[in-house]
Formats: sequence, structure tokens, C-alpha cells
Amino acid sequence: MLNSKFGILIVSIALLLTIFILSLIACILTHTSPHILLTSIASQEIGFAIKLSLLTSAISTLMCIAVSIPASYSLARYNFFGKTLLSTILDLPLALPPLVAGVGLLLLFGTTSFGAWLSDFGLKFVFTPLGIIIAQFAVNISFMLRIMRSTFEGISPRYENVAQTLGCTPMQAFLQTTLPMSKNGLMAGGIITWSKGIGEFGAALMVAGATRMKTETLPISLYLNMSCGDLDLAMAAAVILIIISFVSLYIFERRGGVARLY
Amino acid sequence: MIRIEHVSKDLGEFKLDDATLHIDEGEYFIILGPTGAGKTILIETIAGIYRPDSGEVFLNGADVTNILPKDRQISMVYQDYMLFPHLTVARNIGFGLRQKKVGRSETRAKVDEIADLLGVSHLLRRYPGTLSGGEKQRIAIARAVVTEPAVLLLDEPLSALDSRTTERLRAELARIHKLTGTTTIHVTHSFEEAFALGDRIAVMCGGRIIQVGTPDEVFRRPNSKFIADFVGVENLFRGRSVVHDDISEVRIDGISVVSSTVASGDISVSIRPEDILISKREIETSARNSFSGEITEVKDMGGIVRAVVDVGVPFVVALTKRSYEDMELAPGTPVCIVFKASATHLF
Repeated sequence: MLNSKFGILIVSIALLLTIFILSLIACILTHTSPHILLTSIASQEIGFAIKLSLLTSAISTLMCIAVSIPASYSLARYNFFGKTLLSTILDLPLALPPLVAGVGLLLLFGTTSFGAWLSDFGLKFVFTPLGIIIAQFAVNISFMLRIMRSTFEGISPRYENVAQTLGCTPMQAFLQTTLPMSKNGLMAGGIITWSKGIGEFGAALMVAGATRMKTETLPISLYLNMSCGDLDLAMAAAVILIIISFVSLYIFERRGGVARLY
Repeated sequence: MIRIEHVSKDLGEFKLDDATLHIDEGEYFIILGPTGAGKTILIETIAGIYRPDSGEVFLNGADVTNILPKDRQISMVYQDYMLFPHLTVARNIGFGLRQKKVGRSETRAKVDEIADLLGVSHLLRRYPGTLSGGEKQRIAIARAVVTEPAVLLLDEPLSALDSRTTERLRAELARIHKLTGTTTIHVTHSFEEAFALGDRIAVMCGGRIIQVGTPDEVFRRPNSKFIADFVGVENLFRGRSVVHDDISEVRIDGISVVSSTVASGDISVSIRPEDILISKREIETSARNSFSGEITEVKDMGGIVRAVVDVGVPFVVALTKRSYEDMELAPGTPVCIVFKASATHLF
């Protein structure tokens, strides 16, 4: 393979790309020292950002899972009028820039009577941590939907048929066969959604704003500290984000990576 | 027992068109047809997986058309087993009992008993992923019968298996049916399975049921060219075989044929019409089977003539038109037929 010019050329391109990515990470990691990094991570602000990021991304991931299971199952198993249109619309957030989704959310919750009505119940999304959660949910739900849909489509409905003849209601049959059998898809989808949620910036910035110690997630913290020149804190946030990406990619690959296509 | 009245269901790719069928208690009923004939939809509709577009399904006189599968007491076995991969063999078999809230110890006892009956006791702790096709199908059958269903539906249960396993499992199905007496509906595209197992057979094509009858009726008197072509086999008999000196002797309705296939017990026999020699006089040959009778019917198929010779049972003999005319044969002519033991196929 490597004995032709063509072979050498394309392998070099792959190598250059690898060096490019490694140097990005290396620059961040070498821009700080272990000591400074540890003190920064121990700082109140980064501590807050870590907690807020973990909390919001965990909740938005659970919401994505809870909604995507029934929604993707219906698309995988049933045929109904307008299904193609519906599924195209559900895929839209994949292509929509997060900033635009964020503006939409801001308008929906900030200017409509629906938003005002929710606000009366104490569900305030604009410039609050709740806004971060809804922003992560809106941007990530399409990913989760696609992963779960392809997972369900890969499982024969006959498992549920058999379970039904053995005494299950349709719902019990789903809960006892298809759902446990889609464990890998759920894990992979959950991990990728969670890691995308942690990194979500654009939509969250629009809805929740960037308020120090209030709506300050790790990416927002990185942005705020870069803007005001506090590089130590910015690098601390960046390093944590890198670690989270590595861990989630590792788990995702180990779980068979059903979502690799997307 | 089961009555299906004018049931239609259109699934696009497959359909069922005005199917009417009555199946008796304890019957082993075969649904025979080529791929895409609508056989699977028919039994899935009986199981309640699909609600028919029109028509009704009755079980023991009660209309179950709109009843959920779980309340029908009908179990189902698919060609591709559909064992739950995340459960052990024991939990697969006990699945139905757990749904019916049967106690733990009773479930275990019943699972053990049925696993023993099907010879899968040594596999109970394994997961389905590592088992052979034959083992998987035994477990699928065990899972279906352990709940003591009123009706057992088998969708091509032997089609995915190699021929030796198929033969063994076919005998097993007959044994289980004899033992439990459960009304069984078995879908297949194999005429051998149909003939060997069926009390009655329904032949399906293009979503319609085109003939219902005993194996003899369907195979000997097909009511359409489609069935004649599809079953495509004549000289099919059932008999009882005894083996001595590596030779099987099969008693069929008063006559006895010899086969070089070694197999004993209740058995099916087939001889291809072109393997049978016909003559007006007794012939001396090495062939072990020789009978005399008379021609009862002649069908001219162009270059080939098919003559039915009654020697106690009817044999179809194929010969060229030329030799038919040379020998001056006609209905009523007394003749002698001869075929080799090696031409006698047992299954």
C-alpha cells in the first residue's frame, strides 16, 4: 500500500490531520501548569460551573431519553399519515445552528402568552438555569431521536409479538423485550447527548445568558474568562471539557457506537 | 375450536383475502403455500397481532376479533426463534408463566419439566446467543407450550434448520402434539412436512385459501393446477415401517413396499412416477417391489402419459406416449408395475 506515491500522499494527510488535532489539545494542556490548574479547578467559580454543567446536562439528557423513547418508537413501528413530514421536522435541529434555536426559544418563552403562562407557574426559562436545560434539550433531542429510532428499527417487532402471546400487554411487551434489548443504543445515545449537553453554548447563551455564578456552565465560563483575560480559569474549564469528551467518546465506542453514522 | 370467518387484512406487502377456515379441537392443522402467500399474516391474525380489516375470529365459540393476544391463550413460535437475547434459557422458557404471575417454585418446576421433555435441560443457564438453531427452536417450542395454550401456532418452525435437525424436530413436534393434544396450526412451504404431520391441510396462494382437506385429498386430488404444480408430488403414502437386514418394509393399506432407506415406525413414502416400470406381463428384474393391478385412469400430458394403476393403493406411473401406444394400454388393462427399493423414498 505504502509503496505508491498515492499511498504515501493519503496517509500523510491522515497523519497531518492527527497532528493538527493533537496540537490543539496540547496547546490547551501546556498553557497551564498542574498547580495552577488544580487551584483554578478548586476555585468557587469553576466549582459552580462544573456543578451547573453536570446538573443541567444530566437533567436535559434524562428529558431527551424520556421523550425520545416513545417518539422514536412510534416512528420506528407505526405508519401514519404525514410521518415523512413529521420525521423531517424532527430532524431539523440537526441542521439548525444552535444560536438560531436559542433565539427561537428566547422568543417562545420570553414573548408569547405560552411563556407567560409557564412563568406564572414558576417555570421561568429566560436568563435562568432552566433555560440552559431547555436549550440543551432542544439542540440534542434530534440526535437522541435518530439514535433510538435506528436502534428500535434494528429490533424485530416479532419479539414483542411473542411476548404478547405469552401474556404481555403491548406496553409490557415493549418494556420487557425491545427496551432492554436496546440497552446499547440507549447508553450510546445517552452518553453522546450528555456530552453534547455539557458542551452546549450557543442556544444556552441566547436563552439563559452568560451571568457569572448564575448561568455559568463550563463553556460559558470559558467564554466569560477568555473575554476578561483570566486565562487560568478559562484553561481550567477547557481542560475539564476535554476530559469529559475523552471519557464519553471512550464509553461510546465501547458501547458499539450505534450512532456512529450520525 | 377456531373459526376464521371472511377475514381480510392488507399490510401492503402481504395480504389476506377473505379467508375462512374451521379448525377442530386437537387437530394438527397445516397451512401450506409458497413464500408470500399470506400464511404468516393468517396466523398472526389468529394470534391477535393484527386486527383484521374485516371478518371475525372465533375461539371456542367466543368472538376474539377485538381481544388482545395476551387474553387468547394462543402461543406462537417463529421460524427465527425470537428468543429474548437478554434472558437466560430458563427465563426465556418461564417468560409466559411469569406474566401470568405463577409462583416461583411452580414456574421452576414447570420449566424443568418442559426442558426435560424437549431435551434442553443442560442449556437452562445459557444465553440464547451461543446456541445452535436446533437448540434455539426447541427452547422456543418449550417457551410456547409451557403455558399450556389452547392453540399452538408454528410459523415455518423447521425452515431455518439443516435437514437432519429438521427430521428430528419434526418427529418431536408429532410427539409433543400426541402428548399434549394441543390444537396446532403449522405453517410451512414444505409438502413433506405437510404430508408427514398434518391431520388436515389448507393450501394458500396470493392471500387466499384455495383448498382445505386431508393430506390425501390435497395431494391426490388437487382442486387446481396451482396446487398440482405446487405440491408436485405423486405416489405419497403413509405407512408403518419395520426394518430387517438394513431394508425397510413398509405396510401401506394392505400392500407392502420395500425401501433401501432405513427408517422405522410411522412414516411417509414417496415414489416418483417416472421410477415405476409398467408392463402387461410379469417381468423378472432385480427390483424388489412388484405389484399387479389394473389401469383405472389415464391422463395424456402431451409427450408423456400418466396412468393411475390400482394395486390396492393407487400408483401414478409416467411413461412416454410412444410406449403407451406400443403396449396398447388403456383404462381397464391388467398390468404389472415394478420399482426398485432405492427408488422408494421414506421420510
